[in-house]
Amino acid sequence: MTRFRGTLVHVVLGLAVLLSLFPFYWTVVMATNTTRDVFADPPTFIPGTHLIDNVNTVLANVDLLAPLVNTILVASATTALVLFLDTLAAFTFAKYEFPGRRVMFGLLLGLFMVPAQLSLIPQFVIMSELGWVGSLKALVIPAAANAFGIFWMRQYIIGAVPDELLEAARLDGAGFFRIYWSVVLPIVRPGLAFLGIYTFIAAWNDYVWPLIVLLDPNKVTLQVALSQLNVGQRQDYSVLMAGALIGIVPLIAVFTLFARGFVSDATKGAIRG
Amino acid sequence: MIRPRTAGAGTGRAGRRGVLRYWPQYLAISPFYLLFTVFMLFPVLFSLYLSFQRWDGLGEMTFVGLQQYRFLIEDATFWLSLRNTLLIWVMNTVPMLFFALVLASLLSAAKRFKGFYQVALFIPNITSVVAIAIFFGAVFSNQYGLVNLGLDAIGLPTVPWLSHPWAIKVVIATLMTWQWTGYNALIYYAGMQAIPGEIYEAARLDGAGPVRTFFSVTVPLLRPIILFTVVISTITGMQSFTEPQVLFGNNNAVNPNSGGPGQAGLTMVLYFYRTAFNNNDYGYGAAIAWAVFLVVMAFTILNWRLVSRRADK
Amino acid sequence: MTLSRRSLLQLGVLGLAGAGLAACTSNTGSGGSGSGAGETALWYWGDGLSDTVIANAGTQFAGQTSLKPTKVGGDFKQKLTTTLASGQFIPDITGIKGEDMANFRANADKFADLNEYGFSDVAGNYLEWKVKQGSTPDGKVIGFPIDIGPTGMFYREDVFAQGGLPTDPAQVGTALGTWDSFFEAATQLKGKTGGLMVVNASAVFNLVVGQGTTRFIDPSNTFIGDQQHIRTAWDLAVKAVTLGVDAKTEDGSTDWNAGITKGSIPVIISAAWAGIDIRNNAPDTSGKWRVANAPGGPGNIGGSFLAVTKSAKNPQLAYDIVKWILSPENAAQGFADASLFPASPASYQMEALTKGDEFFGGQKTIDIFGPAAEKIPIAFEAPADAAVSAPFFNELVNVEQGKNAEEGWKAAVEAAKQIGQRAGVN
Repeated sequence: MTRFRGTLVHVVLGLAVLLSLFPFYWTVVMATNTTRDVFADPPTFIPGTHLIDNVNTVLANVDLLAPLVNTILVASATTALVLFLDTLAAFTFAKYEFPGRRVMFGLLLGLFMVPAQLSLIPQFVIMSELGWVGSLKALVIPAAANAFGIFWMRQYIIGAVPDELLEAARLDGAGFFRIYWSVVLPIVRPGLAFLGIYTFIAAWNDYVWPLIVLLDPNKVTLQVALSQLNVGQRQDYSVLMAGALIGIVPLIAVFTLFARGFVSDATKGAIRG
Repeated sequence: MIRPRTAGAGTGRAGRRGVLRYWPQYLAISPFYLLFTVFMLFPVLFSLYLSFQRWDGLGEMTFVGLQQYRFLIEDATFWLSLRNTLLIWVMNTVPMLFFALVLASLLSAAKRFKGFYQVALFIPNITSVVAIAIFFGAVFSNQYGLVNLGLDAIGLPTVPWLSHPWAIKVVIATLMTWQWTGYNALIYYAGMQAIPGEIYEAARLDGAGPVRTFFSVTVPLLRPIILFTVVISTITGMQSFTEPQVLFGNNNAVNPNSGGPGQAGLTMVLYFYRTAFNNNDYGYGAAIAWAVFLVVMAFTILNWRLVSRRADK
Repeated sequence: MTLSRRSLLQLGVLGLAGAGLAACTSNTGSGGSGSGAGETALWYWGDGLSDTVIANAGTQFAGQTSLKPTKVGGDFKQKLTTTLASGQFIPDITGIKGEDMANFRANADKFADLNEYGFSDVAGNYLEWKVKQGSTPDGKVIGFPIDIGPTGMFYREDVFAQGGLPTDPAQVGTALGTWDSFFEAATQLKGKTGGLMVVNASAVFNLVVGQGTTRFIDPSNTFIGDQQHIRTAWDLAVKAVTLGVDAKTEDGSTDWNAGITKGSIPVIISAAWAGIDIRNNAPDTSGKWRVANAPGGPGNIGGSFLAVTKSAKNPQLAYDIVKWILSPENAAQGFADASLFPASPASYQMEALTKGDEFFGGQKTIDIFGPAAEKIPIAFEAPADAAVSAPFFNELVNVEQGKNAEEGWKAAVEAAKQIGQRAGVN
């Protein structure tokens, strides 16, 4: 019975994995063939041998090394800031009563509901006033104010951190920041892992804002650099996909690193059914 | 909920000292609100100001009072985009959150390959949007698409996926569900990590099967996380833009962002984007954006109430 | 605390984050203009100019300035608008796409009047209608013509033969010269081969409007989209639907690709640059395509300009660079490198354009596009023109899906009027 259930779990998950991976597989097919083969009739569904050619075309058209370094710096810095600031604020909203709490939280969620694209022009004006146009700061600093992350960590802390634990810590004489650091953070690791992945990927893939604010062609992010492949009247999709693949592979590596955090200290070793 | 302890006695005394004793809390949230005021609140207020102007993005602004909002009420295209948005949102969110919850439970139950499953389920979220658009366009293509070839092979009538108003919505909702189910599954999975194993052990000793355990243990304990996903999918779903844009954004050179045949894939934010950035009508675009904001807020509050109330029972 | 491999990795990530923060604080923006002293910044998009010519321009002007070309990806107009609005980091020279020209022309104060720097001396080298498109009503020239998109009819010679139609480009041009004769031929071809000669109804509508001298808004800023010239275009588009010769296919879609490859879509009426799309998407049909004059006469789709901004540090030098890049010789190079069809008739005599094209069975396509380019009608295009025309295209798609054509027309006119009203059109 249990054995059968175990098999069923893997069959269903396997099916979901197949569905999830298919378009990614197709990206690989496109990146390893020529555009001609991909759009032939019937189209090809098997990875080809043109990956090196396509990657070379990408590298001939755009310089990727500096953008790659820039993107890693921006995504890491943003993630570190968000993890620290958002979790601290989220903990406060989740577990403390203070004047103005509801209004402030409402405002935070409210601004999340305004279409972000609307702010492009005023944000650009602010950046030029600050003299940050063309600088990577213009990407990192605004992204550190992340309503999504606060809301997520607040919900996570409500569910994961029992009030009794905080009470006990307080009776032991621990202050606000001490409780945050030594009681809350270790428990919410799976939540942090998800937020870290989310933030890193969002920063990595951000495109419209970097395109507008990074004016120095020698200082752009990976997505902006890759977008130069996607212009003109002729689109070479295979080259485009080779570029996309270059952008995805590091993300998968980062994801694998963060995903280890999903195993919480609090529940480590617990056997579930 | 904890009220911070004050040095000495006396609680509830209002006034300056009363507020000051919350200094760690205000300090903890202050960096966010500082950035928030400069980089978000100001641009949003600026856009409110814009919605009372006529502006092409470069020239002089002309104050037009409430005219843009009057246009909005009479604008059949806006109401169409609202209807499209709501339909696509329902068609996407319901299956998405359901499958995500199921996948997360299975992921918790699985003893091997967890890491692989996590990565694989998250892949749709980082696959190149251009690749996905080409792929979906090819798979659902009217005459030569895989889906229609399949339907034809088993003797069912084919569907004009990319030209029928309902079919267009199904394709967009399918794309969104595909892209975001694994992401939500990981959110639930992270939430499930906080449920202590002893509770499951107790349920098992009580003789509860996996389905009952799921509904009587997992779902109630996951309540804050479920509320989070419902609210986030409301906010992001109501602002859906990328998917219809890549699938139906470039109908032809003269009419970009029409949202496909019959404008069936024209969502509110896509309409806003088209108005502001393609037609350079920034004033009206701002008015649309504020209407989007009101709609999103109404639905978020509604859903928040629904999920919280169900939880109270 | 024991240091595991994992915590080492995590420490590494944190370290990088720290480095990132440090890097972010160390570089402050320069502020002001888009280029440093002694530099001339040029923005364009991929394939918008010949990269060879740009590189040569850098060498040519090396003694006077350092040319800094940037290929801007993504939405070019959005980036240019944002930058111009902020007043900072504006390039000295920028490309402007033909469809965005009407809008930037309305903000001519952001650009230099090229006449002040000598454009009037060379204006005669470029097509009159094109120069006019880049000029304001009071005669300021803000756009130096890069390329144009004269229209022609690409057709499959083999399918036309099967359909009992003429196959020689000259004969096709004459026999299918009017829309009526075109539709007759389309009906005949459908009966014999099943092929559909209209890609979609919107394409017909767009072509017919482009063949006229009036569009949706007249120079006195009045909406005229409900008048006969638009109605004629609408009726011709609807005719394609009612005759059943409309493939109802989106340009560049999978069905479009399959159609041009298999011959079920044997005709593409479009600008000269559409030849590239056909060539790339249906490589196996090489040698089977020909080009003839478009039914109803020539028109223009697309094209682009170079402009010198008001923020240019040395506008005379910027203009000289533009003039050099777009000289008839270099424009011919642009055609060879990036399929940019020159706006200067002198280029049409040059080898890059006059040689036969194997894809088109050795046909010299300049024989069709060259004369077409010189006969393109001059029409006034208001900034709101594209916005106002959109409802007509939306409704034509609805008609293709079965909506009553008369209801579609009424809905389109009503929606167009409302959009016009928002943009301040009377």
